[in-house]
Amino acid sequence: MKFCLFLGCNMPAIRPDVELSIRLSLQTLGVEVLDIEGASCCPAFGTFPSVDEEATLAINAWNLANAERKGADIIVQCGSCYSSLKLGRYKLMHGKLEEINQKFLSKVGLRYEGKTDVRHLIDVMHNVIGVERIRNSLKFSMKGMKVVVQNPCHVLRPSKKVGFDDPENPVAFRNIVKALGAEVPRYSRERQCCGGAGGFAKHDKTSNLEFLKKKLDAMKDEVDPDCIAVSCITCLMHMDNAQAELRKLGMIDYQIPVFDYCQLLAICQGHEPSKVARIATTPRDVVIGKILKNRI
Amino acid sequence: MIEGRDPKLMEELIELGGADLVKCYQCGTCIADCPTGFAETPLSAKRLIHLVKLGLREKLLEEETPWMCVTCGGCEERCPREAEPFEIVLAIRRWQCKEDDTYVPLALSEIFARGHTQNVLNPMRKELGLPEIVTVANNREALQKFREMLKETNVYKRYSYIFREE
Repeated sequence: MKFCLFLGCNMPAIRPDVELSIRLSLQTLGVEVLDIEGASCCPAFGTFPSVDEEATLAINAWNLANAERKGADIIVQCGSCYSSLKLGRYKLMHGKLEEINQKFLSKVGLRYEGKTDVRHLIDVMHNVIGVERIRNSLKFSMKGMKVVVQNPCHVLRPSKKVGFDDPENPVAFRNIVKALGAEVPRYSRERQCCGGAGGFAKHDKTSNLEFLKKKLDAMKDEVDPDCIAVSCITCLMHMDNAQAELRKLGMIDYQIPVFDYCQLLAICQGHEPSKVARIATTPRDVVIGKILKNRI
Repeated sequence: MIEGRDPKLMEELIELGGADLVKCYQCGTCIADCPTGFAETPLSAKRLIHLVKLGLREKLLEEETPWMCVTCGGCEERCPREAEPFEIVLAIRRWQCKEDDTYVPLALSEIFARGHTQNVLNPMRKELGLPEIVTVANNREALQKFREMLKETNVYKRYSYIFREE
């Protein structure tokens, strides 16, 4: 089994430890991780898609064609990258492919045939690798710990184009977190967006923080979890960093550590926490310590 | 033409990818679950579509709310007319860029210069034992090709002054 890892921009630029955790956990599961020579930004919705749809599809196709040369599907963690590439591929496969190939890719000796698809990490973990294999790869367990999940919006909606799970009651992410041995209690605002993507935070910081606070309060009051598991770089950075701002402003008086799923998985597989989970604003040592006491 | 109203506005938006706005019957489902509902001035696809239908160019041009979208897809999932409000919001952004260059995001020039919105060559890679980056950010030849392709796009031709080789 092999996949082309699409890096995007935020993960390698700001959270390379997440990239390491993805590479190591996939390798431990027997997945060959390929790099895409010549990949670029997906492009993110706030960039080319906000100015020129044709240029957007050209860049989508550029990335898809470069992955196709490796002969494997793309695997991606960032929700925005997943959505941009997946929606772009949808448009290409529904009428735009030849035009984009001819107008743009052919000018630089590239061509996208439509073979390479785009899969989100949760989809691959749940539907390709499976919970059994995840369970069998573990050296440590999250038994006795409570983890709440934050599903990335972009893997759920619009479900007809990007979905692989029930958009109103998603189970894939819960199941792969449960595979680590953790309890995954539900909370009322489980399906609420983190609010981190796009221009909301930039345009109205206070309301954006209030929006996230609602979600964090629901987690704290209803579940009091050990940590939050995410599978999107924006969810990770926003929910981690904004907690520090909320505390500074006196809007919350607690802290809930945030991990990317692959960071938890890699730690449970025995990879070095100081490498795979190095960067965080909200301290995560207590959670890591608990996992390392739980040898299977 | 009623003063201040331009019936051609709708056609312009349709041209830019907003064709679905004709489906809208102003039910407001798109704003019921929008995260920006928390903001003092929320993004309302319903309202923006109404402005387009009324042909109110100036009002639409001064709207900053289309840029607040968190791209969560909630409106797309729930629209009973399957009108893809998010695509309409993107079309409105494109129209604003066309009318007023200052709306064009500077991130475009970043992507042209190094292939990414940020510097992906983080020095921590080596210490973590990560392999070298092989994207356009670290591959001259691929970056040249990438720029060559972008030079074929209308956005490059129209706003070429924002794109720099370095």
